[in-house]
Amino acid sequence: MIKLPKFLKRMIFRGHSGPEDPSSVQGLRDAFAHRYHNFKLLLTANNKALEIMTDLEKALEGSRPFGMSFVRSHCTAVSVNVFRIIKHLDELAPGKYRELYDSFKQIQDNINSSLACKKTFGGSKLVVPLSEVTRDLLDEVGAKMANVATIKNEIGLPTPDGFVISARGYERFVTHNDLQAEIDRRIQATNTEGIDDLFRLSADLQNLILAANLPEDLETEILEAYNKLERAHGQRIRVSTRSSALGEDSSGTSFAGQFRSILNVGKESVIDSYKDIVASKYSLPAITYRLNRGIPDEDVAMCVGCMVMVNAEAGGVMYSCNPLNVRDNSILINSVWGLPKAVVDGSIDPDLFIISSQEPFDIIKKSIREKKHEFVCFPEEGVCRDDVTGEKSGAPSISESQARDLAKMSKTLEDYYGGPQDIEWAIDQQGSIFILQCRPLQEVELPPCNVQIDELNDGEYVILAAGGQTAAPGVAYGPVYIVKNDVDKLKFVPGSVLVTAQALPRWAPMLGSAAAVITEIGGITGHLGNVSREFSVPAIFGLSGATEKFQSGQEITVDADNRRVYLGKVDSLIEMKTTRKNLMAGSPVFEILEKVTRHIVPLNLLDPDSHEFHPRKCETLHDITRFCHEKSVHEMFNFGKEHRFSERSSKQLVCDVPMQWWLINLDDGFKQDVEGKFIHIDNIDSIPMLALWEGITAVPWEGPPPVDAKGFMSVLMQATSNPALDPSMRSAYSARNYFMISKNFCSLSSRFGFHFSTIEALVGERASENYVRFTFKGGAADFARRRLRALFVGEILESFNFEVEIREDSAFARAEGFDAENMREKLRILGYMIIHTRQLDMVMTNNSSVIKYKTKILDEINGKVIVNNNHLQ
Amino acid sequence: MSEFKVLLVDDETDFVETLVKRLRKRKLDVRAASSGQQALDMLSESPSDVVVLDVKMPDMDGIETLRRIKKIAPGVEVVMLTGHANVEVAMQGMELGAFDYLMKPIDIDDLLYKLQDAFKKKSYVDIDKQ
Repeated sequence: MIKLPKFLKRMIFRGHSGPEDPSSVQGLRDAFAHRYHNFKLLLTANNKALEIMTDLEKALEGSRPFGMSFVRSHCTAVSVNVFRIIKHLDELAPGKYRELYDSFKQIQDNINSSLACKKTFGGSKLVVPLSEVTRDLLDEVGAKMANVATIKNEIGLPTPDGFVISARGYERFVTHNDLQAEIDRRIQATNTEGIDDLFRLSADLQNLILAANLPEDLETEILEAYNKLERAHGQRIRVSTRSSALGEDSSGTSFAGQFRSILNVGKESVIDSYKDIVASKYSLPAITYRLNRGIPDEDVAMCVGCMVMVNAEAGGVMYSCNPLNVRDNSILINSVWGLPKAVVDGSIDPDLFIISSQEPFDIIKKSIREKKHEFVCFPEEGVCRDDVTGEKSGAPSISESQARDLAKMSKTLEDYYGGPQDIEWAIDQQGSIFILQCRPLQEVELPPCNVQIDELNDGEYVILAAGGQTAAPGVAYGPVYIVKNDVDKLKFVPGSVLVTAQALPRWAPMLGSAAAVITEIGGITGHLGNVSREFSVPAIFGLSGATEKFQSGQEITVDADNRRVYLGKVDSLIEMKTTRKNLMAGSPVFEILEKVTRHIVPLNLLDPDSHEFHPRKCETLHDITRFCHEKSVHEMFNFGKEHRFSERSSKQLVCDVPMQWWLINLDDGFKQDVEGKFIHIDNIDSIPMLALWEGITAVPWEGPPPVDAKGFMSVLMQATSNPALDPSMRSAYSARNYFMISKNFCSLSSRFGFHFSTIEALVGERASENYVRFTFKGGAADFARRRLRALFVGEILESFNFEVEIREDSAFARAEGFDAENMREKLRILGYMIIHTRQLDMVMTNNSSVIKYKTKILDEINGKVIVNNNHLQ
Repeated sequence: MSEFKVLLVDDETDFVETLVKRLRKRKLDVRAASSGQQALDMLSESPSDVVVLDVKMPDMDGIETLRRIKKIAPGVEVVMLTGHANVEVAMQGMELGAFDYLMKPIDIDDLLYKLQDAFKKKSYVDIDKQ
């Protein structure tokens, strides 16, 4: 802690009263400058702290996505700034408010415990064989692998054999390399609002993980598990490696298609595949998804399942009921030749079977498509896309009896899990069916009623295209944006309709900001369909020729329910549009924010005259800032007023305005230092004060408005019944019009009769630190009129780009971050307002005079206050 | 504002190089160290007014470096600048006497203002001691 400068000490404590020692005058000036510097730093920190609190409050509205790095960095920054405020106040008044440190410590503890949200992962095994996995091991192996094991071990349906690299294994990998701190650091340093910044972040983080080494014990265990699997099979095997993240597939969050799956992997590549999949935790879709859904990074532990590869003759995805209509429980199967990958990717149009959910599983609808490609296993390793030619491409990829067998399995799974399921399956060369994964189906509530197509006047709207399948219901309007490659993706314009050839999972990051999605091919059971349903983005898949039919920028209305696209805006349809889900509210990150901001944002200390206004009563960081700000102003004021350094003692302003103004120079507010009791306005060098003064003197005050009898009675009643209006109740400090100034700072507390206002402003070269705050309260009339006047003042200030808040009969206005010229204009407006809105409370219930005064005020501000900025006496 | 001496300490060399260039353009006398130990060595050879210190560094971390800087050169103001948003570490730094704890990414001018404020504070403290 810094001790009081010795010059100052001598002046104060020795009661030095003789003529000022010239050699110490410079010392005193320096000491004052130091003091003022502390005060200014306190104000800057205060302003910064309040700004951060506003950001936190905005985040609490839940309309914008944010991650843990936002929460952590804001909590850190606000804590640091509040700590600085306390320190600076302690330098202004050493030891006087020391109890603030205790309150601060208490609040810090609360903040830290709210932020400590790290999940602990169950189990101790790094690698677990599927045969040992039960449903209870969900938090060890992730939902996907727990489900596969359950299907095999408990339900008795065929799944490939395998093992899981557990959450503990993941933790081991991440801590071995101290990766998490480095990952957090990089996320922290990235602006997560720009998709191209995210793209770079994603690449960096994935490289970081790929470059890390596995700890020896983990690597050994994985390879041993692989050997064991191979021995059990009695022949050389290949495996599929799949993500099974903790938190994945739990209710409401699909994580669809974000993480990598690597198929047909040999022993020599299994370690690299593992790292690849762990790295895909930071794929662009995964990062944006967590951000949009408020899922903390640390909560997602990446388990990886390794299962014996099924060399598929055919494969696909099935839903145990219609995802678009909960009332329709028929079973839907998409199938293709080769591996099911093509269905999941949305890269080709799959065959479609719709099957009754009752025995004997009648086929209700069968639609066989032209399947030009298939994914097959290479003999050594990896998969390739082969062309399918001849009869095979148009032939059904599965037989009707296989479709019925699949439907039966889907029913069994739905019954076991007690809800609709989304199931990936494959049929091997011998014709045996394997279930590869199974998870709860994302269902969508249809809007209660749809506008019937016939209701629309066909002549009025042009239908640009019709057809395809509804992948997610709803209606949306926006300009077309055609995406062909990743570069297009980076330039995606939020609010556009995403039009693309294939329903690829890698388009998912745009869904957070797309109005609607249209693809030429791709089944609705693919990942992109899942994500569009989850984010309630209307989507039509399989609308052939879409990228040719529409032009970029063309405005269209997409009616996904009826699978039609109209030119322009079809209002009658858009009115039906359901609002987007707010995905932040209720998410884990949001809950942490709610918890932690309780110790930051609420303001409990309101009345500085109350004995509750005490360091020990500070329960939040906002309380501390409020307390310190009030006290710092008092400390600066009283110090200036009471010590015996005449240069810095309070002086009366010499001016032509018939009101009394008093003034304290904190540092460099005068052109020339003066002794004695008076200072002329011409000698003032304070930028904000001069701007205020220009506003105060811009238009002469015409005196109080003519008041009707009711308004006058209201004043009389208040004056006799409200002790707070008794002038003797106020502290000496607010009893007169007081300026505290320096070159760049000005604080004015003024009182005209029953009207109190304070203005505080910092205006200098540093635009980012500039601010002005204004409070206006009181009045002589009854509460209703006073409140109306506060609203009146607020409305006018809002029209000049102040941020305004009205509480009871007080108006609070602020503006910050503008350049000096702009700030000066704002101060001129405030100077005008404090003079000309006096006593307007009395006329506030008379509508015509309110309009009259408002017009007059706006005219005068626009005509004389803003324009004529040379109006300085 | 008179010219003053700044020492940047950060193990991320790309970041430091850019920052040195940009601060020099703003007329600051800037040098850089890539580790805590190097920073301490440089400070004992010739003084700096303000140190900009990273938190996460291999070997000697920022907090330990801060502790030692305050021991060998208590008058130096230290601004922590880090991508490490951690409330507890930040408070540790502040309690050890850091002037401020800033988080990356930061606007270059905001950083410059901080350095000026820190230097000004140091100057007053120096006057006070005379």
